[in-house]
Amino acid sequence: MSGRRISLDKVFTFGAVVILFAVFSVTATNFFTVRNLLTMALQTSTITMMGIGVTYVIITAGIDLSIGSVIALTGTLAVMAANVGCPTWLAMTVGLVTGIACGLGNGLLVTHLRLPPFIATLGTMMIFRGVVLTITNANSNPAPDEFGNLGNLTLFKVADAEGTTVFPGISYIVLIMIAMALIFHFLLKKTRIGRYIYSIGSNEEAARLSGIKVSQAKLVAYVVSGFLSAVVGVLLASRMVTSQPNGGIGYELNAIAASVIGGTSLMGGIGTVGGAVVGSFIIGILNTGLTMQGASYFAQQIVIGCVVIGAVAIDQLRNRRS
Amino acid sequence: MWPQPEDMSDVLLKVEGIRKSFPGVLALDNVSFELRRGEVHALVGENGAGKSTLMKILSGVIKPDRGTIVYKGEPVVFHSAVEAQAAGISIIFQELNLIPHLTVAQNIFVGREPLTLWRTLDEKKMKTDAQAILSLLNLKISPSAEVRHLPISEQQMVEIAKVLSQKSEVLIMDEPTSALTESEITELFKVIHTLRDHGVGIIYISHRLEELKHIVDRLSIFRDGQYISTNPYGAVSLKDVVNAMVGRKLEMQFPPRNNVPTTEVLLEVNHLAAGTRVKDVSFKLYRGEILGFAGLMGSGRSEVARAVFGADPKDKGEIRLLGNLIHTRSPSDAIRQGIAYLPENRKQDGLAVLMGMSENLTMANIPAISKKLGILSPADEKAAAVQYTESLQIKTPRYDQKVNNLSGGNQQKVVVGKWLFNQSKILIFDEPTRGIDVGAKYAVYQLMERLAREGVGIIMISSELPEILGMSDRVIVLHEGRLAATLNTPETDQEQILSFAAGVGQPQQPGRST
Repeated sequence: MSGRRISLDKVFTFGAVVILFAVFSVTATNFFTVRNLLTMALQTSTITMMGIGVTYVIITAGIDLSIGSVIALTGTLAVMAANVGCPTWLAMTVGLVTGIACGLGNGLLVTHLRLPPFIATLGTMMIFRGVVLTITNANSNPAPDEFGNLGNLTLFKVADAEGTTVFPGISYIVLIMIAMALIFHFLLKKTRIGRYIYSIGSNEEAARLSGIKVSQAKLVAYVVSGFLSAVVGVLLASRMVTSQPNGGIGYELNAIAASVIGGTSLMGGIGTVGGAVVGSFIIGILNTGLTMQGASYFAQQIVIGCVVIGAVAIDQLRNRRS
Repeated sequence: MWPQPEDMSDVLLKVEGIRKSFPGVLALDNVSFELRRGEVHALVGENGAGKSTLMKILSGVIKPDRGTIVYKGEPVVFHSAVEAQAAGISIIFQELNLIPHLTVAQNIFVGREPLTLWRTLDEKKMKTDAQAILSLLNLKISPSAEVRHLPISEQQMVEIAKVLSQKSEVLIMDEPTSALTESEITELFKVIHTLRDHGVGIIYISHRLEELKHIVDRLSIFRDGQYISTNPYGAVSLKDVVNAMVGRKLEMQFPPRNNVPTTEVLLEVNHLAAGTRVKDVSFKLYRGEILGFAGLMGSGRSEVARAVFGADPKDKGEIRLLGNLIHTRSPSDAIRQGIAYLPENRKQDGLAVLMGMSENLTMANIPAISKKLGILSPADEKAAAVQYTESLQIKTPRYDQKVNNLSGGNQQKVVVGKWLFNQSKILIFDEPTRGIDVGAKYAVYQLMERLAREGVGIIMISSELPEILGMSDRVIVLHEGRLAATLNTPETDQEQILSFAAGVGQPQQPGRST
């Protein structure tokens, strides 16, 4: 998008990451260690991917509340597929296809039934959750060991002669996150469909009168969100090596928080994949850093809540001035 | 309701030596101005002349850097719009500030609702008081009607009633007629006369110089933040006023017309019906001609265009492009056939104002700036932006400038550029010059003439009859969703068009001799 304002936004949020990093490195021992950084990246990756997906939807002036339910549904279906004898790749594909179908469902409710996105995805949030609880009777089931490889193995692991780990390696989850960020950044910024998504978020009527197929572009946004939720769902199931029909509750709110901290406007038309990545890492760094300083999970919630409010408040103040 | 004026010529409001600068711009420089009791004082000038800044200062929205405001003989300093309003200075902005889901009475008293002894809303008193004000203005609007169901013109009257209920002595009106039809304007002028007779001082801002003759007592001209002159209306010719406004001799309001309509039918519409507004409309558009669409508000002018363009669904009728039957079920269908529609409300429907200029210019033809697999080509996008910025003379510091930061005239050029980039054969302009200043209007007219000369067919929907007469080759007049007349522009005049628009003219079809 145009102008120096946006790049200034990036400087601000990126600056916040650096400062947080510096503060925790000094105040918390063991924060700035290879092992901790890798763990933090791993834990943050899931928020990042959900945040990217929901950013697509928010740019169209929509919202996706069904993310957490899609994660539970897709992860569980992938594990079930693996348990009935599907090879791992096929089982995971089942999960991803389910996620795409969920996104398509959300999109169709918004574009064809013309439901407000909040209502449509509030409804599907309950439906998807209800489905996964019904088919599993709310029971977690273990998956075959092979299914857990993707979520637990790492790349570039280095060990010395005695077998002691020198470098624990980078988790596949982190690598997949990086790949997703690059792909979806490219799709949003460099392709036609990305331009359509920004246009309808900025002025839907002008976009329609310019011949842009509004419904199609919105569908793509919801499908992206559904797909990335499924990626997270499958990876989490793989990491736990179990299905988690009760997992993912409330994850959509973390995703929305990451997106908003990264500068996405709920009014539509504004937002970037890079912003969602930075936003999610602000949350991730806070979580890890505060935990290491001994702050309780409850106190962390308070801090992150303040960050969400603060980030948007700063944005509002600056908009008012310009 | 108002204090009876003792002397109609006494000065109600006087400003002296006002100066206001914004970062990088001197908006007002040593401006003086006075308003008398019971006068309608017009303020004219191009966009950027400083009218709006002066109005914001008078109504307390912003503070001047220097200068004094004397109101009813006392120097005053307003710190907010609320203070100015409490003192009796009210402003009605172009965009109305009513709450759509409340009734007329509730809107009039919003924020100042009368209460009963029990501290609950006194709806009854609200209604009777509202009725009293409405009757005073000779308005037949029900106090219990919901505002969203009223036409724009009546909403504006409600806004005036609201201001009067606050016992305002100075009323500032910013472009009050821009959304009104001829007959509604007449109604508005009656109300303004009533107010004037009660001693209210009215500052009237308008781009439509023609209409001022009906109501204005004096006229002040502004240019580039400077006060130029004040004259009783009629003491100077309209031409001199325009020259003073633009600071140069503007020989003509309309450019010379060199486009020659051909006999080749570009677009033929037969018995079109759509929604409740369009009942039966047929017309032809020839290559190289400018076809005017005239009619009162609500006659279905815009709706015909929107139905042809596929923006609204059609119920009946056929559309032929170069003789071939086409179906425009959506704007994208129409655009593929080379039809473009430039909506009347640019900011709301025509532009993505938060996006850049180049992004807006290419919005209707994104495939043309993308390579294989739908990947955008920034180089092609830049090239398109450079080409149209130059050929349309869009004034912008950067190609990625946010459209929001461009002037109204330049925004209109961006919308036109969008459709030129799409190689449109037919351009439908809906109120092409609404809200843009005299100089920019001329540029838009020139552009239309040039496009027609290059073989484009243009449909121009306009509420301004001088514009219809000055720019079109033929006019079709609509009345209540039906074709009332097809006229050759050189053979007609305002009165004839108006009588057809009002449904009193004799049906006739002189058409074209082809």
